Amino acid sequence: MVNAVHHVEVSIVILIVGSLVSLLFARRRKLCGWVSFAFVCASSVYTGLAVAGACTVASGEHSILSLPQLGSSLTLRIDPLSAIFLAIVAVIALLSTLYSVRYMEHYAHDKVAKFFPILLLCVASMTGVLVCTDFLFFLIFWESMTLTSYFLVTFESENAASQRAGLKYFIITHGATLCMAAAALLLWRTSGSFSFDAIRQTLSAMLTARPFLANAIIFLFFLGFATKAGLLPMGDWLPDAHPVAPSGMSATLSGALVKLGIYGLIRLFCSFLVVSPSLKIWGIILALAGTGSLFVGTLTALRQTDTKRLMAFHTIGQIGYICLGLGVGVYCLDMYPALATIALAGAILHAVNHACFKSCLFLGAGSVLYRTGERDMDKLGGLAAFMPYTTGTTTIASLSIAGVPPLNGFTSKWLIVAGCLLTGMRFPLFLVLGLIALFISLATLASFLKVLGSVFLGRADENLGIKEVPISMIVPQVVLAALCVLLGIFPQLVLRFVGHAIEGVTAMPVAGVNASRMWGGLFLIDGSPVAFWSPLAILTVLAVLALLSYAIQRAGGARTRSVPVWYCGEEHAAATVRYPASSFYLPFKHAFQGIYPSGKVHVPKFPAPLRRALDFDQWLYRPTVKVIDTAADRISRTHVGILQIYLLWIVIGAIVVTGILLWVRG
Amino acid sequence: MTVWLIKSLLLCLLNVAAALFLSPLCEGIMRKLRAAIHSRIGPPIWQPYWDLLKLLGKEDLRSTGGIVYASLPAFTLGSALLLAALIPMGTAAPLAFAGDMIVVIYVAAMSGVLLMLSGFASASPYASIGSSREMMMLLSVEPILAIALSVGAFKAKTLAVGGMVNWQVQNGPCISMAIAGVAFFLALQAVAGKLPFDIAEADQEIMGGPLVEQSGPRLALFRWAMWVKQLVLAFLLVEVFFPWPHLGSYLIDLIATIVKVLIVLVLVAVIDAVNPRLRIDQALGYYMRVAFSSLAALAFAVIGK
Repeated sequence: MVNAVHHVEVSIVILIVGSLVSLLFARRRKLCGWVSFAFVCASSVYTGLAVAGACTVASGEHSILSLPQLGSSLTLRIDPLSAIFLAIVAVIALLSTLYSVRYMEHYAHDKVAKFFPILLLCVASMTGVLVCTDFLFFLIFWESMTLTSYFLVTFESENAASQRAGLKYFIITHGATLCMAAAALLLWRTSGSFSFDAIRQTLSAMLTARPFLANAIIFLFFLGFATKAGLLPMGDWLPDAHPVAPSGMSATLSGALVKLGIYGLIRLFCSFLVVSPSLKIWGIILALAGTGSLFVGTLTALRQTDTKRLMAFHTIGQIGYICLGLGVGVYCLDMYPALATIALAGAILHAVNHACFKSCLFLGAGSVLYRTGERDMDKLGGLAAFMPYTTGTTTIASLSIAGVPPLNGFTSKWLIVAGCLLTGMRFPLFLVLGLIALFISLATLASFLKVLGSVFLGRADENLGIKEVPISMIVPQVVLAALCVLLGIFPQLVLRFVGHAIEGVTAMPVAGVNASRMWGGLFLIDGSPVAFWSPLAILTVLAVLALLSYAIQRAGGARTRSVPVWYCGEEHAAATVRYPASSFYLPFKHAFQGIYPSGKVHVPKFPAPLRRALDFDQWLYRPTVKVIDTAADRISRTHVGILQIYLLWIVIGAIVVTGILLWVRG
Repeated sequence: MTVWLIKSLLLCLLNVAAALFLSPLCEGIMRKLRAAIHSRIGPPIWQPYWDLLKLLGKEDLRSTGGIVYASLPAFTLGSALLLAALIPMGTAAPLAFAGDMIVVIYVAAMSGVLLMLSGFASASPYASIGSSREMMMLLSVEPILAIALSVGAFKAKTLAVGGMVNWQVQNGPCISMAIAGVAFFLALQAVAGKLPFDIAEADQEIMGGPLVEQSGPRLALFRWAMWVKQLVLAFLLVEVFFPWPHLGSYLIDLIATIVKVLIVLVLVAVIDAVNPRLRIDQALGYYMRVAFSSLAALAFAVIGK
């Protein structure tokens, strides 16, 4: 199955070529976008072929470049786990590029030459990260991914907030990369090789021989991946970077890029580490970190009034869910393999689902920004009348992220929470974590009802001149919303491949999740069937009951009449009596005040002597200039502009020259 | 397979019909009781039926257009009835294969969510305030339901609601389930939207909150959905936490269950009749304390009591 790897190579090459070609067309905004889109399309087709070839069994390896002196080689390989993440990257990249073609008109002052070529490079490096089997090249791809995304975050060169956020992103993620590089080098010192297989062996040998060092290395890797994934507190870059990036990029960041951190965590804990009792501690650490993130992230999101910032905080929250599932899975790997597969399946499925709904939400927020130029929810309202498609897709995605059955967010949350509760029956800590996850799911709902209620629903003042966005921006949103519904009703479609991925990574059969039936839905097995969820049956019954209710509603044959809103007899403009987003849930928000400490970081003072030493102006340039200046000034005094004086100088000069000559001869 | 399908469909129909047609009666009884406590004669217990019938024939005034807004009441009642099909009401839960306790918790929140959406969509500031309050009540009440049910799950080692009932029947009462049941009961007061927790509707304050712009058949469906939900959750409380005396005779058990449900609803009505409305922040504080106290049930369950 070398073919699959070749397809990915072709895809990466297409992206790099595309990046150069789109640079040629950079003068013309739309053309540049469409050219980039064509290249991303082609590369996505190839990635899709690769995914199709490797989604059930791992592909063969293909070595491109070998550096035996370093113990490293650029060897590519796709296994079912990377296939899933490759699929996410390909789909999200395709849709957000299509979206950006028209969206980038929003930025009149900045050239698209700074956007599309770099976006393509970013996608290429994400693809590279996923297929690498060698840590040196993994880090190279990782770093290029970080750099390109840094440039995309700081796209708006005139915007100070975007530059600040970019700098924060740059510093934090480079700290993380340093951690990973340090960990890889520590392992390399022992084994002399960067390849994943060697690292796996070294790490497992080290865990028994030098457990302290081994755990320190695992911690460094954890820090690196968790920072990229956006787990708090390392993910503090995320709420700043997402809102300022162009919306297509926000969608890519949240939908695909932060997922690579999750990919790394899954690789690290499920594949690099041998199953041993010490994994339990890491499982608990992961689960606690995840719960912390989802709790703090989501409740902070509830307080936001900036649409994109709110969604960025939700990314932290949802990554927390994934990490919680992962933690429970890692905890159970050793003793309860069936439960481990439930939680891991939940985590991976949630990563897929999150890519669908969160990208859709960011694109929706982008559409609102594109048409109204506004991200502040307090100033928006009643857009449903003008932007029906954006409203529809955002509503579906919002209900999906909140886990309203039978949309896709519910299935993965169900798996994660069920995994928590079932594991909690053995180790009660997880029971509490599962309950927190359930509660936060409601807080997510509250937060997105606020978005829907204040931005889209209600009524706007007439004649605002707002239109629906162009079709090339609607299509990506509709596709993502359709995916939310489709994967919600048929989670089996994805769970099959998730099962292969888990089998591939942990070398364990997926014993806990039965997703073979269509109507009967999913059930979880822990000895006996213990949890049930059938989206198709629930949806059918709900549809039938809703129809029945509608029949009841129409039974009386009541006439319908359209009336204005009743303001207790007074007349008001809709906008003046609108319930603003900042007023939602005030008492509740007061209860959770200060949960996300936001202090201004003061830049440390530069030591004064060093600053003086480095200040060449002060001690070198200015004094030199001054000396030369005064000298020139003095000389210039001789030039007085009177002919006789010049003649006198000439006479004196002649006498002096004659004197010197006489003195020399004599 | 076909027999099983027909059986579960019939059960489904039975549960839905019971929830649909008994819930106004329960509301009628509760009204009558409240009137008795207030020393009034009160409306006849059939009054809710007449209310619904009358509303179904009234003119439907809409402040907002659109097909989604038009379909919201039907989905609200539909989701409340779906909840009825997911839980055991005197018999085994008809759709037990399709949803466990986590699904029940989410579906229980669904009708509230749809009500809030129609509140926001109706463009009235009163409706928005009411919806915002409704969401806060949901935020404080649903965790209690979740904690209570997870105690049952912990005891029975299964997430299926039917499994919890069976475990209770076999093993008899225990401290943790009793505490969880009390917590569930306290939460029921707010789920049913009764005083002192009818903060979201608060007729004297914000004129029905999310319902302020609803009239005619739409109002009928929303009201009906709330009554269905209160009855169904009372059934859930009785079945999971107080399933005794289980004599094995189907008819007697059914009658006992209905009597117990009526007792629960009467208690709710009494609390409703003798209390003033709390402010939203007071209610939040109250339920936060209830939630933390109900963790005690979990602690008892962990130590095996």
